Amino acid sequence: MVLALRAASLVAFLLLWEWAARAPISFNFPSPWATLTALAALVRSGALPAATLTSLQSLLLGFSAAVLVGVPLGLVMGVVRPVGRVARVYLDLLIALPTAALVPLVILSFGINVLSSAVIVFVFSAPFVIMNAYGGVRDVRPRLVEMARAFDASWTQLFTRIVLPSALPMILAGIRYALSRAFVGLIVAELLLSPFGLGKLIMTTRSMFEHDRMFATVLWTLLFAGAALAALARVEARLLRWRA
Amino acid sequence: MPAPETDRRPTAADPVAITVEGVSKAFGAVQALVEVDVRVRAGEFLSLIGPSGCGKTTLLKIIAGLVPADRGRVRVGDRVVAGPGRECSVVFQDFALLPWTSVQRNVEFGLLLRGMDGRERAARARAAIAKVGLGGFESAYPAQLSGGMQQRVGLARALAVSPRVLLMDEPFASIDEQTRRVFQDDLLRLWSEERKTVVLVTHSMEEAIYLSDRVVVLSPRPGRIHQTLEVPLPRPRESADVRATAEFARLVDGLWKVLRKLQ
Amino acid sequence: MTLAALVGLAAGWELIGQLDVSMFVPPLSRVVATSWHLLGDGTLTRAAASSLLSLVKGFVPAVGLGVVVGLAMGRFAVVRYALDGWINALMSAPLSALVPILIALFGVRDTVVAAAVFMFSFFVIVVNTSTGVRSTERSLVDMARAFGAGEAALFGRIYLPAALPAIMLGLRLGVVQAVKGMVVGEMLISLVGLGERLIYYGNTFLITELYAVILLVLVLALLAGSLAQACDRALVRWK
Repeated sequence: MVLALRAASLVAFLLLWEWAARAPISFNFPSPWATLTALAALVRSGALPAATLTSLQSLLLGFSAAVLVGVPLGLVMGVVRPVGRVARVYLDLLIALPTAALVPLVILSFGINVLSSAVIVFVFSAPFVIMNAYGGVRDVRPRLVEMARAFDASWTQLFTRIVLPSALPMILAGIRYALSRAFVGLIVAELLLSPFGLGKLIMTTRSMFEHDRMFATVLWTLLFAGAALAALARVEARLLRWRA
Repeated sequence: MPAPETDRRPTAADPVAITVEGVSKAFGAVQALVEVDVRVRAGEFLSLIGPSGCGKTTLLKIIAGLVPADRGRVRVGDRVVAGPGRECSVVFQDFALLPWTSVQRNVEFGLLLRGMDGRERAARARAAIAKVGLGGFESAYPAQLSGGMQQRVGLARALAVSPRVLLMDEPFASIDEQTRRVFQDDLLRLWSEERKTVVLVTHSMEEAIYLSDRVVVLSPRPGRIHQTLEVPLPRPRESADVRATAEFARLVDGLWKVLRKLQ
Repeated sequence: MTLAALVGLAAGWELIGQLDVSMFVPPLSRVVATSWHLLGDGTLTRAAASSLLSLVKGFVPAVGLGVVVGLAMGRFAVVRYALDGWINALMSAPLSALVPILIALFGVRDTVVAAAVFMFSFFVIVVNTSTGVRSTERSLVDMARAFGAGEAALFGRIYLPAALPAIMLGLRLGVVQAVKGMVVGEMLISLVGLGERLIYYGNTFLITELYAVILLVLVLALLAGSLAQACDRALVRWK
């Protein structure tokens, strides 16, 4: 029943799209079929795989930096309370700011290269990794800490056997959300940066009015991001099997 | 009646006496305990009871070494309490189990912290799990267990480290009454097989009389020792119909009269 | 503590700027002075006004439509099953990738910005509204129906009030997303608003001016957020 409804809505969407392509909304609005053929063409020509690879570089560089730097930083913030309280203010500001606004600044400072887009990916995703690691540490059940202390646990034991496992769900959730933010940062960076990656492909195909190719690239990007997030969700579920 | 301590060879897990001398504790402006003196005999089962806020949990935590006293001194056996120690084990009201790991590993936790090697840990934990009647549930996770079963895990964890003193903070409060009664009997049975000094904090008068040798009543904040009642009911109590006897009813009523005046 | 942290940040910024550590970090004082100047001569005020207009043009429909769709999804399982795949997928998607499509649709015009604002905030509002409706206590619904409440009364007197805190949360989150959509949209079409100023000053290496606009954007984002929070507190006093 549910499956039927979802299938129906998918069909409805495709029909709407097909209709929009025929109706005089805007010139050159590609139909679903045109998009798919363009997608195949782009893959065959190598343009899409090449762009994906370049984008992937920046993404992996920026995102892994965000995780490797962000998790320890968040943990420190949670354990050393004064640091946490101060750093939290800066993070809140950073999160409130539409990060896209920082892109021109980053481009100016680092130039037009992979480093720039990696930095942008970092700035988009790191705050959430940090905040979640911080929150995870802060939300440890005091009772569990007390129990471990009753067994005369050392500080190291408290950290590794109580704090870290307790905070893991939040840390992983933060990483997953940060990945979706990383994709946003990647796309924004490349749309504005232009020289390479999927963003560039989108912008150039648009400016050349190759709308079917543009749609294809956008579709590909969304699918790519979706797949990456789904994979991460799988990993997270595997690691957190103990949750009821 | 107090436990006979001479008809067994002294072993590492023999119970010890607890001495609380002149303990006072304040939290900021709130005076929780004032000049508390309690002497718990080795192998005795003692209950702490009193109106809410009387400081009974605080006193238990001071004995456990989790909270430092402002004034006074606590001795467990020969040791002066300055922090958590190896002779004491604590059982918590909300079980305090690690949700991310199995029953087996939860019970091994105290042993793990003391650096015991894996094989011995596993063996001791399994023995403790069997003792509390949870054999077969070693690989279950806390979320899969009922409240009563979770607390049995908590008890198994506490027993696995072979403590001389068992400190219990309202252990049965989160458990339904039928499960509670069975659990109380099992506790008494375990306690008679391996004598430990037990200090139990409870809200329930019936529970205090049923389980203990003595009941200490604390007054409302600031907590002082108000009165101590002896419970001369014969042991073993778990197999007899103790709750149905007139003596039991009289003792509970006596305790109630004391508590009522404190409300 | 917050104040101390902010003062510390301001002081640190000023110091680093004065020490001329990098040409990319001007002192705070100069940034503030430039902001004042740009606001005074109208450049920034015009840009901000355009941005705000687009924000409102996009956010208001997003709220209107979003709440309605969310209510429908929350109340009627049929609607929910049909739509939730799309809604959830689009909520975590990099919506910026869709902005070029908006540009293709509307051309390089300021409507794109309003459309981006709408797109960025719509889904968050829908999801939160729907969740709010679905978490209405069953017992309240049963009680109302036992007293003879019809569909309209159920909606107006049970579901809507019960879902209000969640709706307000959706609005607060939606406002944050709306501002982001506004900035991204403006930067990509590079035509009007604060986003255009960001691109312009970036391209012309006017770093102090760039910082000034970034600061203004931050202020705008914070104001929008505070406004939403004030609305929340005003409307949901019983929580």
